[in-house]
Amino acid sequence: MQTLKHIGIIALNTFRESIRDKILYNIGLLAVGLALFSIVLGEWSVFDRAYVIKSTTLSVMSLSGLLISIFVGISLVQKEIQRRTVLTLLSKPISRATFIVGKYLGLLAVVAVHLALLTCIYYSILFLTNSEPTVSLLTAIYLIFWELAVVIAVALLFSSFSSTILSALFTLGVYFAGHLSNQLLEQIRFASRMGEMGDTSTALLEKLAVVIHAVFPGLYRYNVTSYVVHGLALPDMYLFWNTVYAIGYVGVFLAIASWWFSRRDFL
Amino acid sequence: MIQIEHLHKTYRSGFLMKPKLALKDVSLHVESGQIYGFIGPNGAGKSTTIKVLTGLLNFDSGKVLVNGISPRDVKSRRFIGYSPEQPYFYDYLTGRELLQFYGKLVGLEGNLLNERITWALQLLHADKDWIDRRLRSYSKGMMQRVGIAQAILGKPKLLILDEPMSGLDPMGRRDVREAILELNRDGVTIFYSSHLLSDVESISHRVAMIVDGRIVREGTVDEITDSCGIEYHVRTRTAIPAKDLPEGVALAGHPQEVICADDAARDRLLRYCLDNGIAVEKMDHKRPSLEDILTEEIARADA
Repeated sequence: MQTLKHIGIIALNTFRESIRDKILYNIGLLAVGLALFSIVLGEWSVFDRAYVIKSTTLSVMSLSGLLISIFVGISLVQKEIQRRTVLTLLSKPISRATFIVGKYLGLLAVVAVHLALLTCIYYSILFLTNSEPTVSLLTAIYLIFWELAVVIAVALLFSSFSSTILSALFTLGVYFAGHLSNQLLEQIRFASRMGEMGDTSTALLEKLAVVIHAVFPGLYRYNVTSYVVHGLALPDMYLFWNTVYAIGYVGVFLAIASWWFSRRDFL
Repeated sequence: MIQIEHLHKTYRSGFLMKPKLALKDVSLHVESGQIYGFIGPNGAGKSTTIKVLTGLLNFDSGKVLVNGISPRDVKSRRFIGYSPEQPYFYDYLTGRELLQFYGKLVGLEGNLLNERITWALQLLHADKDWIDRRLRSYSKGMMQRVGIAQAILGKPKLLILDEPMSGLDPMGRRDVREAILELNRDGVTIFYSSHLLSDVESISHRVAMIVDGRIVREGTVDEITDSCGIEYHVRTRTAIPAKDLPEGVALAGHPQEVICADDAARDRLLRYCLDNGIAVEKMDHKRPSLEDILTEEIARADA
């Protein structure tokens, strides 16, 4: 009970710290600007206006959330260490895991608020442009939230043991690997079926692709823009299982981050 | 309250992770209710020892217990209040908001939290307008007071202060000194490091001196200074030729003044004076200060 309370206090302080960060406002303004620009894109495009506005705005939400998750996420722990505020905080009766989880939830709350605000803007744009603002679009936003939940955990994990720049690069690497791992596996299997590669190299590459696919979080699962924009139904229990999948990865990443962080010395 | 036995701590730095022994076989015992001063030059291992006690640093070997619990266990920190050297805090908060934040982390809330904040600020003479300003505008002295205030909010059994007087003006030093004494009167054990040896001499029940990662002296101030012997400064009416000075007696700079290194040297000098009809004008005894002893220990370690 006491631990949950401590997590809440640290999360609230992290939220307060993050919403005073200038980066957040720059990214937020950029996201709003791009969302509004989607109206112009819709008018110019040869495609259906509603389709362009919906897909562009969802991409903007995903991208801006990603920028916040990486740039604020990697600095959360590093800032505490560099400014030495961690010394006073960790001398209180709180474990290092509590600290990590509190920091994580604080930033997750920031991302949730960011997505909520953009959702309001998103629906306002759809109403104003008469572009079929269906409830099913919330499904895509819900999945973007869980994708970002995983990305924040990755950023925290790397920032618990490496520098800010390296953490940003590693997190971006995991993000791209997570999005491309499925495609990579499919391409290699396709090339193998078509006999475009030798047997040995195919087997080796396929094994490598399977490992990448298994180890990195499959973030491609959280991009359902094409489904919701075209009004297609998602498979049964898709949201449930992908929520469980994200929670599983977040749990593992935070556990590793906490373990690593608890071994650190603070000078 | 604090039990440290044969503590060793190594830092590793650089690409090759070159080891540097920061603490070498450190042993300390601090009883409940004591004010314990921890002194030594920069880089001697004071902050390292303190950070081991607060669980901020892991250690290689040895035994460390705080109120009977290892600092590796979170529970040990329920009894501790800690203010680091040059405390840094979230500069986007006001002093009061910061104290509310730390107060909640030690389990305080509502009226009790507000009462405790008022008490801590009054104790440190920090109940001024600036407490409601953002921390980024604070001077070093204000920061130091807020640092100590956050450490005592939870009414800890053990207060650990790393250089609590640094950055304070004479008034600030007096306020902190008085706060330490008052907390101690209320039963709080205080373990603190300081460079200001006059303060350490005046308020500590016991003192440990650390030089180059080793405890070189430990005891009450009197025990430490007595262990170094007492010097006697003797002034005679006529000068004693340098070649005739008895063993352990040296010239003090003035031709009629000599220094006897210990009691035996003093007796030899007095005997010489009686035998040679030299009148003794004045004799003072001088105990070395902690500063003298520390300087001597540093020189010995450097050698």
